[in-house]
Amino acid sequence: MTLLLLLFLPVVVACGLPLLPAESPWVRRAALVAALGQLALGVVAWRHPPADLSLSWLPQLGLRLDLGLDGLSLPLVLLGALITAMVVLATPLAQSRPRLFYALMLGTNVGLMGSFLARNALLFVLAYELILIPTTLLVAIWGGERRAGAAIRFLTYNAVSGLTLLAAVLAFGWLNPGGVDFSFGDLAHHNLTLQQQHWLLALVLVAFGIKLPVVPLHGWQPLTYSQAPTPVAMLLGGVVSKLGAYGLLRFGIQFLPDAWSDWSSWIAAIGAVSAIYGALNAIAQLEMRRLVAYSSLGHMGFLLLALAAATPLSLQGVMAQILAHGLIIALLFCLVGLVDTKTGTTEIPELSGLLNAQRGLPFTMGLMLLALMAAAGVPGQAGFVAELLVFQGSWVAYPIPTLVCLLSSGFTAVYAVRLFNRVGFGRLDNAKANWASTNWGERVPALVLTALVLVGGIWPTFLTGLSEDATAPLALRSSAAVTVIAMAPPTTTSELIA
Amino acid sequence: MATILETAASAGVFNTLLAAVDAAGLRQALESPGPFTVLAPVDDAFAALPPGTVQTLVDNPPQLARILKYHVIAGSHRHAALIAQDAWDSLEGAPIPIRSKDPFEVKNATVVAPDVECDNGIVHVINRVILPG
Amino acid sequence: MSTTTAPERTKAPLIPPSTHRYADVIHRLEAGGSMLPDTPENLTQIIGIYKAYAVPMDFYWRDLLYIAERVFLNPLPAFKYFISKEYLERPNSYAGDQSPLRIWRGTEKAHPELLAFMERGETRRLPKLLHHLWHDRVNMEFAEACMQAMFWHQGMGGRFNDYLESDAYKANADRAIKAYFKGNPLMLGLYALFPEMFLEQVRQLSYYANLGLFWEVMAPVFFEMSDIYDEGGFKGVPDAMDFLVNGIFAVAGRPIYHHVFIDGECFEIIPKNEGFTWLYEAALPYVEAVFYRTSPFRGTKSYNAQAGQVPSDQADFHYGILYADVYPVGSAGIPPTLLMQDMLHFLPPYLKEIYKQHRRRDEDELVQLGITFQRSMYNVTSAVIQALRGALLYPLDDNDSNHLQANRAFFEAKMDRFLRPEARLLDIQTQDYR
Repeated sequence: MTLLLLLFLPVVVACGLPLLPAESPWVRRAALVAALGQLALGVVAWRHPPADLSLSWLPQLGLRLDLGLDGLSLPLVLLGALITAMVVLATPLAQSRPRLFYALMLGTNVGLMGSFLARNALLFVLAYELILIPTTLLVAIWGGERRAGAAIRFLTYNAVSGLTLLAAVLAFGWLNPGGVDFSFGDLAHHNLTLQQQHWLLALVLVAFGIKLPVVPLHGWQPLTYSQAPTPVAMLLGGVVSKLGAYGLLRFGIQFLPDAWSDWSSWIAAIGAVSAIYGALNAIAQLEMRRLVAYSSLGHMGFLLLALAAATPLSLQGVMAQILAHGLIIALLFCLVGLVDTKTGTTEIPELSGLLNAQRGLPFTMGLMLLALMAAAGVPGQAGFVAELLVFQGSWVAYPIPTLVCLLSSGFTAVYAVRLFNRVGFGRLDNAKANWASTNWGERVPALVLTALVLVGGIWPTFLTGLSEDATAPLALRSSAAVTVIAMAPPTTTSELIA
Repeated sequence: MATILETAASAGVFNTLLAAVDAAGLRQALESPGPFTVLAPVDDAFAALPPGTVQTLVDNPPQLARILKYHVIAGSHRHAALIAQDAWDSLEGAPIPIRSKDPFEVKNATVVAPDVECDNGIVHVINRVILPG
Repeated sequence: MSTTTAPERTKAPLIPPSTHRYADVIHRLEAGGSMLPDTPENLTQIIGIYKAYAVPMDFYWRDLLYIAERVFLNPLPAFKYFISKEYLERPNSYAGDQSPLRIWRGTEKAHPELLAFMERGETRRLPKLLHHLWHDRVNMEFAEACMQAMFWHQGMGGRFNDYLESDAYKANADRAIKAYFKGNPLMLGLYALFPEMFLEQVRQLSYYANLGLFWEVMAPVFFEMSDIYDEGGFKGVPDAMDFLVNGIFAVAGRPIYHHVFIDGECFEIIPKNEGFTWLYEAALPYVEAVFYRTSPFRGTKSYNAQAGQVPSDQADFHYGILYADVYPVGSAGIPPTLLMQDMLHFLPPYLKEIYKQHRRRDEDELVQLGITFQRSMYNVTSAVIQALRGALLYPLDDNDSNHLQANRAFFEAKMDRFLRPEARLLDIQTQDYR
């Protein structure tokens, strides 16, 4: 029941929105209630784990409404609901065509929840594809100057991603002796040969590689993230990209472990390349949204590295990074959006001295400092915890890519400091400084996200507690080299050598 | 001939100047043989200064003496000699520029009656109080 | 014959119009006006800020004299801002019934708003030491920064600085130093080893006295201007400027001196007999050193010689209020911020009303009042320029075109100093600059 509610609450609210008058404040409130309601349901689901639900839908196709929550999907459901709530709060009050906007937002949310709750691969693909339409419309209608191109590119890439995934899933059924009923349980216990797994993994990697994204499948990301309106960018960067990681966890590591182990050194390498590519490009950016987009690309590289290593610690790092980075990216986009709303621009050369207490945006910039530090992995915030787990967990498996990713993490500090130096410090041009300061209503989403980032930093269980038990059995290699030395001090030299 | 101060007293238009000389304690100096060239501002010149200016100076003899000494050049110089140079050093120390020969102008004051001979020097009558700087 | 009445232009002007970049401003000056345009709001703003400036100034001048005359060479002057009762109640020579040349109709004692602020600060009644450490007080450091600007720039006109190097001064200072440290073999020994160091300290203290005597005059001038404005006596900005010009002349002859009181005995380090005047030895050097030059504030310019950001020629320094960028108001290390903070406490209600209607309303009063202060100081500078013209050049309604041309050259030379890009002369011509 909880699961059905989780999935259908936003559907019901979204369908009800057109019935409200366009100018009514209840449009926004309804969307907020839907998101907060989902969050509440998620918490209920955490305390009282619901049983898996299985309803028949289109049995001829093998499509069943199999819904379930486990340690991997619960944190993502909570993240999705939270970010949706923050997104609603971050939407300007004067949003144009609010009913359509919030309905499409909730539509995206439905797709996300469907993907996270699905225990049936076809259902997963359906929900996965479902996300595309509202997101494309959101970018195309309310985006920046180049929104048309961004929307088309986004749609193209992600449609290919969806189709590739569909092909992979169908191929599962076609290749597996005796067919499959596409439920996750079945897929986890297939009898495919290594060769066949390789084929499927290739498709899966392409599909989710586009979603994360990773280099070289990232072509849609910087443009879309920078052209999307702030709330959409928050949702895209915060949750939709995590769908890619979730997909790789499920379809890659859980369902195709042998092929994954075979190819993991390549995957780790791609992760490292993606990380460095993202960081170096971010350093070169002159516009804040693109900078944050490339930063996100870099951090997804860390995710891929941790997935490739697939040690228990690194998989904990995957979940931690999913949550931490989701919060941080949403926070960064929210703050950049605030700057845009107030000053009218996000071009770095045009901004300076925003920390000025009298006429700048000191609150926004203060939180941005925290957010940038979090993105750079400064201890005390969630980013550090996540990166520590990722690097510690991946080091034993792939030291060189881990070192490359560490370097990329260092570069994060470079662009974070440069951005803050240019935009925050320096001389505020009094002639241009004509904007109003932020009010408390505008500050709430940023405050909530910052608080959570700080909580994650000082209480790491916040990030990994829900998923630890679920990720441990998925590990493909042990952190053996690490744990043995840590467990017992050697008493004889022979043990040392052993 | 009379001394500079006697000449000024008899002219009748230098009452403020003479009172200032007394207040500044320069009477004895100006009665001495000298010789001096004195640029003497008429009473109207002092009256043209904003109210309180002269009073403040009169209340402070050293400062008043400084301003008065700026109106005195050592030696006796007639009009023709004065216009031969661009500037002359006053007793106060700051230079007095000769701005124009005809009409005869000393700093920002016009000399309305040059070359008044006295025992111990020459007086040139000016229509403004001149100030250093 | 007044020095600054507007001339009757019933016939064609005697000299052709100026071709200077700031020709408009020059023509306004020649007509008896100020560099600041004559609008009602400008008048309201500058009078309001003069009053807000005069209240802390009332403390500055008293404490400056206290430090120069009493604290003197105290090696650990931790309490130099804890002004003694005698100096807090020292009668202002230009206010009150006892004044020989009364400028302000009000009291010769400290302004009541100042006393109220010294009692409570922004917070509430606390022991004075807590107010002091918490900086909830009048920011005397600003006054010291002005003094140091004058001290460092040295020869800004007048004879004061040269006298500080003379033998007479050294003899006077020597006597005072020995008397101050009588019975202190440590300090006397240090003095024997490093006489120049002590002498330099005494020179600095002489500048304290100089600035204190300068501001003793300015405070009643500003208070009186506020009172005249309140009763509607000023018709416009030129009227306010004229009042300043007359005030400058009236007090021009005030002696500048430095007397130190050690154990009840008065040591005249700079006696009044030296003939130093308020106009030449205090006001003009102050305007030059503090309005035009000052020094670059740490944190806003690199002091690194290779960076070339600070001009190597002192005459090129352009960090005074006339060139100031008001943005850093509120930042640390910017001395004028201290003054803005002080003025914030004493703004008249009509000025607060103006600030409530613009920009960030209540939140950025510091910046708004900083810009108002800049306007007002341009007005003061205009008064100084007009006073100098009146003293050294010709009346504005002179009939001789040579004289008018000399006036024009003088004004143009003054305007040349505002040709550099940092000058705010153009900004203050519009009302938008807030």
